[in-house]
Amino acid sequence: MTSSCRQISPLLEAFGDEELAADKLLEVEQHLVDCDTCGERIRLNQALHVSVRSAVRAAAPVMPGFEERIAAALRAEAAREESIDHVVEREAQHSRMLSWRSVVPVAAAAALTLVWAASTSKHQQAGVEGSSSARLNTADQLLEELVDHHMNARGPQVTEPALLSQLEPEVGVPLNLPSLKAYGARWEGANVVPVSNQHAASLRYTMGGRHVTLYVYNSTRVPIESRLKARTVRNEPVYVGSRRGVSIAAVEHRGVGYALASDFSDDESAELVAAVY
Amino acid sequence: MSRKVSISAREFETQAIAQLSALLGVASRLTRNPADAQDLVQDTLLKAMRARDQFEAGTNMRAWLLRILTNTFINRYRRGGLERSVLDGPDADPLADGWISASTMESMRDPESQALRPMLEKEIKRILDELPEEFRLAVVLSDVEELSYKEIADIMGCPIGTVMSRLHRGRRLLKGRLYEHARALGIVGPEALVGEASEKQEPVIDLSQYREKRVARS
Repeated sequence: MTSSCRQISPLLEAFGDEELAADKLLEVEQHLVDCDTCGERIRLNQALHVSVRSAVRAAAPVMPGFEERIAAALRAEAAREESIDHVVEREAQHSRMLSWRSVVPVAAAAALTLVWAASTSKHQQAGVEGSSSARLNTADQLLEELVDHHMNARGPQVTEPALLSQLEPEVGVPLNLPSLKAYGARWEGANVVPVSNQHAASLRYTMGGRHVTLYVYNSTRVPIESRLKARTVRNEPVYVGSRRGVSIAAVEHRGVGYALASDFSDDESAELVAAVY
Repeated sequence: MSRKVSISAREFETQAIAQLSALLGVASRLTRNPADAQDLVQDTLLKAMRARDQFEAGTNMRAWLLRILTNTFINRYRRGGLERSVLDGPDADPLADGWISASTMESMRDPESQALRPMLEKEIKRILDELPEEFRLAVVLSDVEELSYKEIADIMGCPIGTVMSRLHRGRRLLKGRLYEHARALGIVGPEALVGEASEKQEPVIDLSQYREKRVARS
C-alpha cells in the first residue's frame, strides 16, 4: 500500500455509494487508473453490495395473501375516516340551519355523536358503507389476521400479570388477566398485535401442550361476529367459527371483546371463552 | 420544491402497496422474524395512512415510509432507541479493515455474477443479523434500498457523518466475518497482511539512523 492509497482509502466507500464530491471523485478516479489494489477493493465492496441486496430480498418475499391483508386494512381505515368525515359534515350542516338558541344544545349533541361515532365503527360502517358484503369482507379479514397471529405468535412483551396494564393505552380497553386455571390453562405472556386498523391484546396460554390465544379488544372497533355463528353458553351469547383448522370463539362484555383461537373443537372453544369474564 | 398535499386514500394505497417488498425487507432484517416483520409493516402503513397529509409531494415516498417503520420499530420493540454497538474502540481484527491483498479480495468474488462467491453469499443473512442494529439498518438502507446518506440520516435521526461511520463499521465487520468464513472454507489461504497492519510491524528507525541517511543522501 502506498501513501497515496492511504489518502484515497477513506474515500472509497463514498465513491462506491456515489456520494463523493466532484473534486474528490476525480482524485479517486485518477488513483484507480494505476492502483490494482484499490480497484479490487472497490470491486469487493460492489460485490458485497450486490450480495447483501440479493440475500435480504430473498429472505423476505411478499407471501401470498399479505398484499390483500394490507389492502384490506388500508381500506378499513379509509372507511373509518370517511365515516367520521361524514358525521362531522352532517352535523356542521345541521348547525348552520339552526337558530342561535338551539346551537348550544345541538353542538353538544353533535360532539356526543362524534365521540360515539369515533368509537363505534361497527355501526358507522353499516351506515356509511351501506354494503353488507363490505362488512363481511372486513370481518373475514379480521378472522384471518387473528388466525395468523395465533399461528405465528411472537415472544411476549409482558410476562408479569401486574404489568398487563402497560398494554392498555395501545389496546384501548382495560386488561385483566382471565386465569382459566380451572381448565388447566397456564398463562405465558401477552403482547399487542395489529388487527385491521386497531390493536388487540394477545394473551397466550398453554393447555396440555397446546397453545390457546385469547384476544382482548375494543369490540366496537373489531367486529368479527358477523362471520361467526351465534350460540348460547350458560345463557350468554357466544359466536363461534373456524378458519384454516383454527377454532375461534368470541364474546362481548361491556364493550370489551374476547376472542379465543385454538385448535380445540368449537364446543370447547366456546366453553372456554364463555369463562373469561 | 416539496410541499405537503393531501393524497386520497386510494392513491395512498396504490403507492404504499408498491413499496411492500422494500418495507418487508427492512422490517425482516430489523425484527429477524417473519411474523413480526409483517405486523411491523402493517402498523407502519396504517400510521402512514393516518398521517398521509404530512407527506411532502416530490419527496421519496419509500424513504418516508421507512422513517415511520424505523420509528415504529424503535417504539414497539426497542423503547429508547436502536440497539447500540458494543464494539466501541478499535476492532480486534485488523483483517476486518480490508487490508488484505488484491488476490485474496479477488478470490472472494464471483467473476461472473459481480457478487460474492455463492458459498460466501449464503452466509450474508446470518452475518448481517449478527451486526448491531444501528450498523445493520444503515447497511440495509444503503445497499438494499440504495438510499442516499441524507435520506438514511433522516430515517435514523442522526447526522450524515454518523451514517457514514455506521456504514463503514457495518461493512467492515461484514467483510471481516466473510473473510474468516472464506478462510474456514479454504477459499482463501492465510497470507501476510498488506497495508497498515503489516506496516506497524516494520522495525522502527531511530533518529540517529535517520540523520545518517539524510547526511548520506546530501
